Amino acid sequence: MSMGAYLRRYWQLYALIALPLAYFIIFKYGPMYGIQIAFKDFNFFQGIGGSEWIGFEAFREVFGMRDFYITLRNTLMLNFLDLLVSFPAPLILAIMLYEMKVVWFKKLSQTILYIPHFISWVIIGGIVLQVFGTQSGMINNLLASFGIEAIPFLTDKYNWLVTYLIVGVWQSAGWGTIIYLAALTGINKELFEAAGIDGAGRFRKIWHITLPGLKPTIVVLLIMNLGHMVSIGFERPYIIGNMAVREFSDVLSTFVYRIGLESGQYTLATVVGLFQAVVGLIFVLGSNYISKKLTDESIL
Amino acid sequence: MSNGKQRSAKFRKPMKTALVLALASMTLLAACSSKSDKGADGGANGAGERVTLKVEVFDRGNSPAGATITDNYLTNYVQESFGNPNNIKVEYVPVPRSEEVEKLNVLMASGGNVPDIVFTYDPNTFHRYAKQGGLLDVGPLLDEHAPNLKAFLGEEVLQYGVYEGTQFAIPAKRSNVGKYASFIREDWLEKLGMPVPTTTDELYETLKAFKEKDPGETGGQVIPFGMTIASAQYEPLIWSFIKPTTEEEAFTLTQQLGSNDYPTLLPGFKDALQFMNKLYNEGLISKDFALDKDKKKMGEDIANGKIGFYSEDDVNPFYDNGSLDTLQTNIPGANLKPIDVFQNSEGKYAKPMYAPNGMYIMIPKSSDRAVEAIKYLEWMASEDHLFHMQNGVEGENYTLEGDIPVAIENPSEEALNRMFNSGDMAIISNGKQLGSMEKNLEARALQFPKPFYDQVQEAQRIANTDTFAPIVLDRPIEAQTKYGTTLLEKFNEMIVATTMAKPEQFESTYEKMLNDYMKSGGQAILDERTALYKELNG
Repeated sequence: MSMGAYLRRYWQLYALIALPLAYFIIFKYGPMYGIQIAFKDFNFFQGIGGSEWIGFEAFREVFGMRDFYITLRNTLMLNFLDLLVSFPAPLILAIMLYEMKVVWFKKLSQTILYIPHFISWVIIGGIVLQVFGTQSGMINNLLASFGIEAIPFLTDKYNWLVTYLIVGVWQSAGWGTIIYLAALTGINKELFEAAGIDGAGRFRKIWHITLPGLKPTIVVLLIMNLGHMVSIGFERPYIIGNMAVREFSDVLSTFVYRIGLESGQYTLATVVGLFQAVVGLIFVLGSNYISKKLTDESIL
Repeated sequence: MSNGKQRSAKFRKPMKTALVLALASMTLLAACSSKSDKGADGGANGAGERVTLKVEVFDRGNSPAGATITDNYLTNYVQESFGNPNNIKVEYVPVPRSEEVEKLNVLMASGGNVPDIVFTYDPNTFHRYAKQGGLLDVGPLLDEHAPNLKAFLGEEVLQYGVYEGTQFAIPAKRSNVGKYASFIREDWLEKLGMPVPTTTDELYETLKAFKEKDPGETGGQVIPFGMTIASAQYEPLIWSFIKPTTEEEAFTLTQQLGSNDYPTLLPGFKDALQFMNKLYNEGLISKDFALDKDKKKMGEDIANGKIGFYSEDDVNPFYDNGSLDTLQTNIPGANLKPIDVFQNSEGKYAKPMYAPNGMYIMIPKSSDRAVEAIKYLEWMASEDHLFHMQNGVEGENYTLEGDIPVAIENPSEEALNRMFNSGDMAIISNGKQLGSMEKNLEARALQFPKPFYDQVQEAQRIANTDTFAPIVLDRPIEAQTKYGTTLLEKFNEMIVATTMAKPEQFESTYEKMLNDYMKSGGQAILDERTALYKELNG
């Protein structure tokens, strides 16, 4: 088939891929040009091209900052705890939803579980304050009416960690079930029937059929999650965090916001960004490699 | 085998085509955007052709119906009175008030679409721009085009816009330098038969009585002392604990973070924190004060009658529908009395005041419309333009009593909407300017609802009592520019952590926080200020 004929025949496919491709080129590859800011004494008014090269000086400065290590530790800690709590949650929820036989109740539960995903963190921040506040939060008001002393959910750093994780699960778990539910539809129903005839109960079926069926999905998601270990969203820690728990809530993204956008030190902010990207890549490749060795599942 | 090879060869070619296509579409997009950029720039500077002057404006999201922040009564007034006669199209570039520095940084870094007039309240941002060579030397332009503006601002105010010998900014002039007053629930005092406290010790006793006797009948919800982590709430308390210092100590130990001076290293600061710690642990301030960055929660608590005492920007409680207004609607008979109570070791109610300048108005070096920009500011300072922008239309917005404009009590909707952005449009002045401080204060008091007039006057008097000015540095301290934002957060964190610590852990918490503060830039500022002091004083 000639080139012309080939294109004529399949042009729709190329038209389809052109937009995502353009997206990646414009928004993911294009900005990489800006990485050089990390190696330059960036001056607003001279632009990227006009600023002076300084080699690794900015890296030395960032790696000498106390806040960098504190925020790095907090980022890893929050992400790791989140992985422990928020990663299994959608999986468990998905299996529970899958096991539900009453259709209307299943649909209703799904919708209710999805809703938090669509609420902005700013709103969630307000809700959290109303519910968990020490002086006049809902829970503490309730406790007070039973004569129990108020619990500082938001201002004690360890309590805050728990609040942070719970809010995270509440916000994301329902949405996270979608991928698992999609994967579950791919499992052959006959397997369940056969297992039933062989006398397997519900938990046996989950253990031997559902979970193995989900294994590839779980591994892919886990690898992708590990890749994000050093990067953390800005809104959740910034909004749920506060001055009293800054020791835990100050993370790399808020650090970058502070030194970059607020103090105008774009060079330092870029260094941190580049550091996150490089470590993220190492994590992804590393976990991919290990997973390939151990389970034969991988994304590359 | 050969089949597979063929296919992959075939595949590669279309792949290339696709890539070329994608690249082509990208260039097309880029071409489009650069084209529209040019269009926004306005005409070339040909003789007699209309030019565009771009001016930053704060957007508080409070535009009334029918107006926008870039198209309203005042922008039209500017266009008609200044723009049209000079053949200039004045275009406003909105920047959200709450993120002025962040957005301005992005605007400046974006290069192409920077306004010709930008401004900020943050001296460090001004210093950074000046240091990076992004600002125009406005000295010669002021001399040539702006006699009225120079006369209006005066030498002292203009000094604040000088960076290393060059006039890189035009500071706005402040009409009133008073900052803080404190307020107490007068009706609670009367109910308990207690006198108005006049010292910190008396205040402590009063707060305890508020807590124990709950005169507001809040059902145990009383918050005797309203506190947040905004400076207006903690500064009056903290500064009253600072001990008398020599001029050298004040110069070297003060830390300027953002636009304010902070007493982190001054003797007495620790005592202030210890007092806060005591108040907190005895339940006299809100357990959630650390969560209240924007005073929202405190505002609610005041309006609901839970708070007995607090410090605030002097006239803040007295606005129409403000704290006191709402409080009196919710609780008839409630009243807030302005008081001065935090007494220092010398018996003075020491508190900071503002520098005589307001925000820093700057012209980027890249601007093609510098002359027009200066002419705009000069226009504002000339004739009665500033007066008109600040007071509106006589008979509709105000009436003159003597030479002081008094706001009309029930202005029409139209008249009211006219002035919604008055403060943000009249950029050369911070507050109403009527020629003298007394008149300025009088005019300010008259802006408030009539029943609160006496309280406003009293609060303003307190705000201007025993004040001390920010320390003027002849040269910018580089470490302050660099670490200011970080240290300001650490400072607030230090207040929160030491206040909320258990009494027996206060000492160790303080040590830990101070250590962190010093290592994060506090030491660098101290060193630089000490060196500068030695240099200036031999």
